[in-house]
Amino acid sequence: MMKFARRFFARPTAVFGFAVFVAIVAIALSAPLIFARGPFSIVGMPLLPPGAPGLFAGSDVLGRDMVVGLAYGARISLLVGITSTLCAVGIGILLGATAGYYGGLVDDLLMRFTEFFQIIPSFVLLMVLVAFMQPSLASTVIGIALVTWPQVARVVRGEFLSLRSREFVEAARVLGMRDARIIFTQILPNALPPIVAVSSMMVGSAILTESALAFLGLGDPNLLSWGSMIEGSRSAMWVAWWTTVLPGLSIMVTVLALNFVGDGLNEALNPRRRR
Amino acid sequence: MAEPLVSIRDLTVSLPQGADRPLAVETVSLDVGRNEIVCIVGESGSGKSVTAHAIMGLLPRGVTATGGQILFGGADLLREAPEALRKRRGRDMAMIFQDPMAALNPVVCIGKQVTEQIRTHRAISEHQALNQAGELLGQMGLKDVAGLLKAYPHQLSGGQRQRVMIAMALSLSPQLLIADEPTTALDVTTQAQILKLIERIQAEREMSVLLITHDFGVVADMADRVAVMRHGHILESGTTSAVLGNPSHSYTRALIAAVPHGESALPPSPGVRPLVEVRGLTKRFRRGGLFSRGAVTTAVDDVSLTLSRGETLGIVGESGSGKSTLARCVIRLLDPDAGEVLLDGADIAHMKAGRLRPLRRRIQMVFQDPFSSLNPRQTVGDIITAGPRIYGEAPKQAHSRAAEMLELVGLNPQVMDRLPHEFSGGQRQRIGLARALMLKPDVLIADEPVSALDVTVQAQVLKLLDDVRMQMNLAMLFITHDMRVAAQVCHRVMVMRHGKVVESGPTRDIFAAPSDDYTKALLAAIPGRRQAI
Repeated sequence: MMKFARRFFARPTAVFGFAVFVAIVAIALSAPLIFARGPFSIVGMPLLPPGAPGLFAGSDVLGRDMVVGLAYGARISLLVGITSTLCAVGIGILLGATAGYYGGLVDDLLMRFTEFFQIIPSFVLLMVLVAFMQPSLASTVIGIALVTWPQVARVVRGEFLSLRSREFVEAARVLGMRDARIIFTQILPNALPPIVAVSSMMVGSAILTESALAFLGLGDPNLLSWGSMIEGSRSAMWVAWWTTVLPGLSIMVTVLALNFVGDGLNEALNPRRRR
Repeated sequence: MAEPLVSIRDLTVSLPQGADRPLAVETVSLDVGRNEIVCIVGESGSGKSVTAHAIMGLLPRGVTATGGQILFGGADLLREAPEALRKRRGRDMAMIFQDPMAALNPVVCIGKQVTEQIRTHRAISEHQALNQAGELLGQMGLKDVAGLLKAYPHQLSGGQRQRVMIAMALSLSPQLLIADEPTTALDVTTQAQILKLIERIQAEREMSVLLITHDFGVVADMADRVAVMRHGHILESGTTSAVLGNPSHSYTRALIAAVPHGESALPPSPGVRPLVEVRGLTKRFRRGGLFSRGAVTTAVDDVSLTLSRGETLGIVGESGSGKSTLARCVIRLLDPDAGEVLLDGADIAHMKAGRLRPLRRRIQMVFQDPFSSLNPRQTVGDIITAGPRIYGEAPKQAHSRAAEMLELVGLNPQVMDRLPHEFSGGQRQRIGLARALMLKPDVLIADEPVSALDVTVQAQVLKLLDDVRMQMNLAMLFITHDMRVAAQVCHRVMVMRHGKVVESGPTRDIFAAPSDDYTKALLAAIPGRRQAI
């Protein structure tokens, strides 16, 4: 574990990404402690620029503190990003591994099922799903997981297809190992690097998707996320840049940090780098 | 003696930092005379390829010639401008490589690739170039040249591809042909044809050939002079008959001794009740998916065999003969379409997975590729105790048995915490063998266990396999494409071609008096047979 950490932190971008990500998580977790009054309370005149007395990042169209909004928004955005990715990765690994390991008819059937999800424009499907389930945090998470798992399944299947014919997998079968054990102890660890890379990207894109949903008014109306902050301020975009640029920047920095973390994990998981 | 065509003087080539040694080649001197074949022989990492690439000016990035001279007809190639050197390549000297598939562009047809080479150096029309290309391919012994010029590399066999490569190399009539392991990736009968072709062309054109090989059999057949390399040094060089007949360096003697002689020493095993009996085994492969019905190929066609305790049965064949498929059906990695595999009388060919699992431990396998047969993410200890742990052996006991097993296969038990990539090919094969033996099997299937190894390592692993067979009274099924290897370890051999058995019997008899034409061809193709070494 120590060696793994050392390899991970050997990359400056990974250190940067990890530090930024930890900072954002810390802000998200501590938001209710620091800003007990909540993100919806009005603190002053609307559209005050950053640096106005007591308002480090200005106020939004309704006169709410932008700093508080960004901190609370981080909670929702990260929650949606991480949980939906975990669900999608879970489904993707299960179906992708089954399809790739068994091949043949099983593969054909599972992949046609996967394509069923892939041929529908995913955002349209997502909107329909969320609208059907009533906009809420849970429906957003489930919806995003349902439209993003196919890309994980594809990657996992591809890895399994190439790994299952490797001789060490045949050796495990010859030893008498059960299929489930071969899949999880022999093949999956070798398929991890691309899965980790894809998932770190997916957290970022899930945050973006949540923003897009919120922007269209399909987010949970009782919760503030970075996306809904942009949506709420779009009418003031030309007169008060900070109302849209700051949440937008938050999304960008988070996604960037996650990509760096993903790259770092990818390197650190590569057994050839071990010394 | 006349002035040599190529004269390498004290050549030193450095490797980039972090490589396993600072110099790839150290003060190497070697002459290649006009109208002669010179072989550089050595094992992987000896610097033989680097020397060849240095002559061509094709050293990889980071690898640079830091000292010495390479004189080509008097001019020092190491001091020539890159542009002048580029013009020499193809015109004055040409090279062919080990893997012709990798050296040919897969999306360009053969005709275009051959003419491109010619037209880069000579101002002639495409039509003329195409005529020349056709003529060249004809000289290489290729048939249906018109069709070939329009074909793509993947439509050709390995031997055809290598012939095309040689044609391209010769298209500008260079004075020097460098062949870097040109037959290593080919079947033995194809290898013999290609070597004969190189020999014929050399004699016809009176050119110089520098042949890089790891096989002393090839040296014996081909070379006028030979240089033995190891760790970047030339250990000895001289005329082939002198070096082979009276090697002065102990390493050369070891290399020559490691070459399997193709003469069987093992007597046929006594007739005891067979442990494994295969009857009428057939395996077909279908291509195509859910909605398409593709072509069917029969990989193994009605094969029967018996195998007793303490004996080794060799299955010999070239690529595509079905020998590996047969092995995989016997061990039930593949499900055969017809036939029986009886292990102590119980048919395991059609047994349900649940009933088969406890029997699996009785048949184990050693795989071909030392690099993919060990899980790269598990330690050696985890790899070799995996089997016993499946059958419920206590981890502590498995661990102590693993230590003994590592010792048995000639490894230090302390390597258990290390990962596979830290080991050499030969060591990995030993780990793979330890994994198989941990289950105390009755039958061991070895699928080309030494074909990826250097000759000296090959000899050690073969000896280990034979020792283990005797010690544990194993029945061994030994799959190989190399008749010489089969002769060394097998009591009986079975020759396969196109999925069928063409001949089988005691090794000694088959080597002494083969009855089938194909077996005869295989035996005749063994390098080093013409000149005893």
